[in-house]
Amino acid sequence: MRGAFRKSKKQRALRIFFTTDVHGSDVCFRKFLAAAKVYQPDILLLGGDFAGKGLVPVLRTDGALRAQIEGHEVSVPAAEWDRLAADINKRGFYAAQLDAAELAALQQDPAALDRLFRSQIAAQAQRWCALAAERLDPVVRCIITPGNDDPVDADPVYAADGRVEFPESRVCDLGPVAMASLGVVPYTPWSTERECSEEELAKRISELLDSLPDGRQAIMNFHCPPYGTGLDDAPELDATLKPVIRGGRPSIVPVGSHAVRDAIKHYQPVVSLHGHIHESRGVQKIGRTLCVNPGSDYSSGVLRGAVVDIAEDGTCLDFLLTTG
Amino acid sequence: MASSDAAAGTATAGGGEAGRLFIRQTSGLVRELGIPAATGISLASVAVVNTFINFNAGLTDFAKADMYLPLVAAAVIWLVAMFAYRYLLRAVPRAGGEYVYLSRIVSPVAGSMAGLGIAVVFTYVLSTNAHFAAQFTPFMLSGLGAAFHSTAIANAGNHLTSNIAIAWLSIIVMLVVAALSLFSVKIVARIIFGLIILQVVAFLALIGMLAFNSHADFVTALASYSHHPGAYQAIIAGGKSNGVVFGTSIAAAVAIIPFMVLNYNGVLYSYYVGGELRRPGRTYLYASAISIGVLVVLWIGVWALLRARAGLTFMQAQANLGVINPTAYGKITSLSSVSGGLGYGMVLSSDPITKILFATAVPLAEIAVNLAFLTVTTRVLFAQAFDRLLPVRVAKVGDRNHAPNVAIAIVLVIGCGFCFLTSLVNLGSIVALQSLFFALILLAGGVAALMLPLRRADLIDLSGISESERSRFLRKVTVVGAATTILALFTVFELVTHSSVYGKFSVESIITLLIVLGSGPVIYLIARAIRRQRNSLDLAMAMHELPPE
Repeated sequence: MRGAFRKSKKQRALRIFFTTDVHGSDVCFRKFLAAAKVYQPDILLLGGDFAGKGLVPVLRTDGALRAQIEGHEVSVPAAEWDRLAADINKRGFYAAQLDAAELAALQQDPAALDRLFRSQIAAQAQRWCALAAERLDPVVRCIITPGNDDPVDADPVYAADGRVEFPESRVCDLGPVAMASLGVVPYTPWSTERECSEEELAKRISELLDSLPDGRQAIMNFHCPPYGTGLDDAPELDATLKPVIRGGRPSIVPVGSHAVRDAIKHYQPVVSLHGHIHESRGVQKIGRTLCVNPGSDYSSGVLRGAVVDIAEDGTCLDFLLTTG
Repeated sequence: MASSDAAAGTATAGGGEAGRLFIRQTSGLVRELGIPAATGISLASVAVVNTFINFNAGLTDFAKADMYLPLVAAAVIWLVAMFAYRYLLRAVPRAGGEYVYLSRIVSPVAGSMAGLGIAVVFTYVLSTNAHFAAQFTPFMLSGLGAAFHSTAIANAGNHLTSNIAIAWLSIIVMLVVAALSLFSVKIVARIIFGLIILQVVAFLALIGMLAFNSHADFVTALASYSHHPGAYQAIIAGGKSNGVVFGTSIAAAVAIIPFMVLNYNGVLYSYYVGGELRRPGRTYLYASAISIGVLVVLWIGVWALLRARAGLTFMQAQANLGVINPTAYGKITSLSSVSGGLGYGMVLSSDPITKILFATAVPLAEIAVNLAFLTVTTRVLFAQAFDRLLPVRVAKVGDRNHAPNVAIAIVLVIGCGFCFLTSLVNLGSIVALQSLFFALILLAGGVAALMLPLRRADLIDLSGISESERSRFLRKVTVVGAATTILALFTVFELVTHSSVYGKFSVESIITLLIVLGSGPVIYLIARAIRRQRNSLDLAMAMHELPPE
């Protein structure tokens, strides 16, 4: 019992609050910023899949705005656009004002819809950067990196911002440790924007980590979790992208990356931070590496995260999974 | 990453008609319980069919009891509480119930008090439910024996009345529950739902039997069942001569309200699995409202039928004579005095199907209740483990079934221990304040809802509405929280002032209650002190709720 109370000789030098897969949820991003006050980290880290996946068309008709939100028809005066847009954003969707002709055209033109999505995602990135500048204490670093679901159109917005750091495919210095970030994942059935083969991923990881000086402690901020670790369990899908049912329930299979797993085994970073698979919230050890996937429940406005403390010598002192 | 709702759309246009959502990309989620599953958990936690037995217990415990007013008043109390929990679930939409609400809104110490207390008491309830099912085995076998015309089956029940036999039967019930709980939560919810359907069928069969038979039919059937031509009148006469008080009074009806509040206990329990509910606020509200509505209609209807067919005087005499003078009662009839309405159904039943339904209703109901309670209890442990208050291993989810297997194993092992103790040792004086604990849990929910707008208004996300609308909404939450607190305090007051019925205040029972309530804060404070001493992360951090603004 006395040992349990023994004071650690190591002192905390760095605290990171890590979250991922907020998918356009304004509520989650605001909570992400609020985490700076609650958990008092030195670094706020959003590790990919920041872009939303739904767009609610708001129909302009005779001074009124009409939209379907979660199956309910909503009609408000045009003057209440800000309120309606905020309500839609809160649910993780983008809101776009359209007249009947524009809406009809959009339904027939997937390319136009794709452009609209990209512009909305970039606009949200700008709003979020402004919000971070407004709300965060200057001493707190705010790092955002992309995931496979994030279109490259948002990259220049974050990269150009003065308050937010965007070290995608780079190693950045966090003080006692260096952090390597990579949003690319192995091929998925949806052919999203940042995908490649396992071989290509392994090559990119090597290029990234081989640049680290010898003996430098590192953190991997790789969106894709390591294969077969319990941090990568997702429903198995058939050729039509429907969940495979076995024994009356969805079949669950590991869908993580072999390349990421091999890299963790080889380079043994102190911590590896992942997302991508919302259902597989958890913590796992590979050798001496603490692998974390905080999971995601963004559609309910719940921010799942992890607080990680790093000592002066770059070792991991402690971690805590959070739900807020 | 896209997974479970992948089929909903692709990276391009998924929308079609005017105003519909356009879908760009998809992602999987853990929330899989809809309104039917949540309703199943709520109804199963109540054990619909137990009401027949609970009516009987109410008649035994309260002189001059009538159930109309208590049934309606208790439903109103739960209806008010339903809205309080809705606001809590909306602000903190995840599993864990009062543990999560109190720890996030009031203080981690208060949360840990509720969390560990709920885990311990609910585990004990699991064992008492198993024990109850075991005690009903002779009734079940006698019913099955009658259905299959087998004296061997009917007589087998006579060999299963010893304490050790009851203990082993309780363990078997627990093991059945354990085996079923190893399925994923969605399948468990389906099993619970199936068992509820069986209960409802039994319930409806009994309603039909009471509705389509007259009072005279019941008197004749009882005489035939008891092989005693004047059994009905003899039981009433026996009651009179043994001092049973007949009739009704308002005072008794008010005193019995807490009993009925406890009878409905569980009707809101879908909030305990809030982390697994689809669109939690809406799903919870519909499930709870449906459950309360179903129970009020069914129970009032059945009580009216029981009064019309068996008669209040007879029910009061039968329930009490079996307790006051079991020998005299046994000479009149072999009908179990504690079986209540189910026993009346057995008396009226003339076909094997309804006999089987009535015979198996209680054990099946208890299995459903235990599955629901196990789900609830393990989610509370799960939430505490994720907050590092318990070892992280407790929160480990199985690869195959995606259920918290370690938490399930812990609850079952302790539950089996309680089964043996309940059967072999008299725990009555120790757990006498169990009713008070449940009322305190309701009080905790009311206090959390009351404190929500006062302490953590920032958790209520009302983006896009005006300041005056926001103030109005916060006032509404305060009023609902205050109303729930007052109604819970009334229940606590009635429980305390009627301790002869609800549980006596002895040194053992008070110490037990204090240990149950105090162990959570003690564990929390020790764990926090150890971690702080070791320069580890402060446990309180895990219990912070992030404001959306």
